[in-house]
Amino acid sequence: MVALHLEKVTKIYRKGENEVRALDGVDLDIEAGEFLAIVGPSGSGKTTLLNILGCLDSPTEGRMIYDGRELRSLGEKGLSAYRRERISFVFQSYNLIPVLTVRENVELPLLIERKLSNGDVRSRSEEMIAAVGLAGKEGRYPRELSGGQEQRVAIARALVKRPLVVLADEPTANLDSHTAEEIVEIMRGINAERGTTFVFSTHDRLVMEHARRIVTIRDGKLTGDERK
Amino acid sequence: MTDYAAWIGRQESVADIAATPLDKSLPDAAKILAVLGRRGIAAAPRIRFVARVSNYNDEIPVIADGVDPTADRRVFKLASAIVSGTWLPPEEKKSVVMGARLAQELGLKVGDSLLVIAQTVDDVTNADEYSVVGLLDTPAPEVNESGLYMSLADARALLVAPSAPGGYATEVDAALPRAATLDAAIAKGEKTAAALRPELPGLRVDSIAYLARDYLAVRDAKATYSFVLIFVVLVIAAVGIVNTILMSVYSRIREIGVLRAYGMTRREISTLFTLEGLALGAIGSILGVALGALLDLALIVKGVSLAGFGSAAGSLPLSGVLRGEWNPRTMLTGFLFGLVVALVAARIPARQAAKLEPTSALRFQ
Repeated sequence: MVALHLEKVTKIYRKGENEVRALDGVDLDIEAGEFLAIVGPSGSGKTTLLNILGCLDSPTEGRMIYDGRELRSLGEKGLSAYRRERISFVFQSYNLIPVLTVRENVELPLLIERKLSNGDVRSRSEEMIAAVGLAGKEGRYPRELSGGQEQRVAIARALVKRPLVVLADEPTANLDSHTAEEIVEIMRGINAERGTTFVFSTHDRLVMEHARRIVTIRDGKLTGDERK
Repeated sequence: MTDYAAWIGRQESVADIAATPLDKSLPDAAKILAVLGRRGIAAAPRIRFVARVSNYNDEIPVIADGVDPTADRRVFKLASAIVSGTWLPPEEKKSVVMGARLAQELGLKVGDSLLVIAQTVDDVTNADEYSVVGLLDTPAPEVNESGLYMSLADARALLVAPSAPGGYATEVDAALPRAATLDAAIAKGEKTAAALRPELPGLRVDSIAYLARDYLAVRDAKATYSFVLIFVVLVIAAVGIVNTILMSVYSRIREIGVLRAYGMTRREISTLFTLEGLALGAIGSILGVALGALLDLALIVKGVSLAGFGSAAGSLPLSGVLRGEWNPRTMLTGFLFGLVVALVAARIPARQAAKLEPTSALRFQ
């Protein structure tokens, strides 16, 4: 089943009289439960593609159909609502809120969503913290964690609301190879166990090895789509 | 307790008031007192005259007042400003109360005798000896330095005043029951004076608003300066709040990006930072009002003595105690003002935060 469908998506940035075509007519279907890597050199358009997939940015041209819904007409409020309910992010530099504990960081998306009771928020966050191997560290602050642990918290935060898709921008770029492997293993495990769709941009060969599909992008155009 | 409300005297005497004209006395003080009495207004007749006080070695010119010792207490607060001795005893003749500094100048104390020299109503020099029964220390320097008070009977005898209905007097002073605020007292005085004028034809009725017009003008000017000062303080507070919240916004730009990525709308982000500013304003206002209330309490209970302030600076001598006023309404206004300033000030950075694009915020270094 196709979860995300991009059709002739183009993104043009204008700086004065100059135009930068960050994405150029991208057609892409992502099915539910995929574990997909977007690869390509720096400046090729990976992050722009992830931003558009994450509804953080809108295309200049083209259509986006998510879970059967055309998103182009939703507007800022509608896109915020869609992100709130269906999309999660894992960032290269984790972006945890430093004044919140591990538990509070993980609970954040549920508190923004405001759908669950306090008890359900608590049990859901504890379940996800345990799933990423951080049980017992709920009361710690990000500054008290290693980089790998911080990224695990970020993954727990991304998964706690059970999104349609998790978008990860270079999730292992700041980690050593051993920790990176652990993080990829966690994402793979959750993908296999829960069927959550993962789309990540990467330069990391290890991550690429674990991906079941690799989409290559160059100069804003998709130049390869390899399924394993 | 009363508030001084009005001065009643002859129209002609006002033009010549600096000379304290004894020939322009009230035609019928009894009638004035009766009119005021019917209205329930406290009233005291007085004779104001220029005199010289001597300790038999030195002589100092003074403004003397013949007063009704009992009625005067209901209009003026001189009796409560006695620092040594007593107020004029109604039954005791040939006694005076004088300003403490005047007594000091002449080397006099309670129980001493002094000579008062004055021109009579017929412009003949007369003098008599009096005993000092009390010394005054009031917030008015002119009373402390050149005030002399004796009974009406003594003044009439000294000035060889002719008989008149209600007794010889140059003015009647009136007071009303104490009002809650100075403005209310002024308004009441003005209203009473206006009501008295038709009942006292040929006489001049000056309200406290007219008599204290110079003071009130200074007070209004001070209020304007205070407003400017408060405005500057509020601008500083607003700049502080804007700066604090802007710093908070800039130090949390990536967090804002995360919140936006996780579905918070621009409006929610703006509300978040506005509430933060409001909380900051509330905490600041509570602390400010609490600190102000404590200082006010100290001013009310202890006060600040003005003695020595003026003379130390080589200016007019000052006396009395400066006291605070417990005014919950002002405190509430201050608190609400703090909240409103914080709210308005927080809106600027809050809108800035809301304007941030999530992609730019997440890239922010």
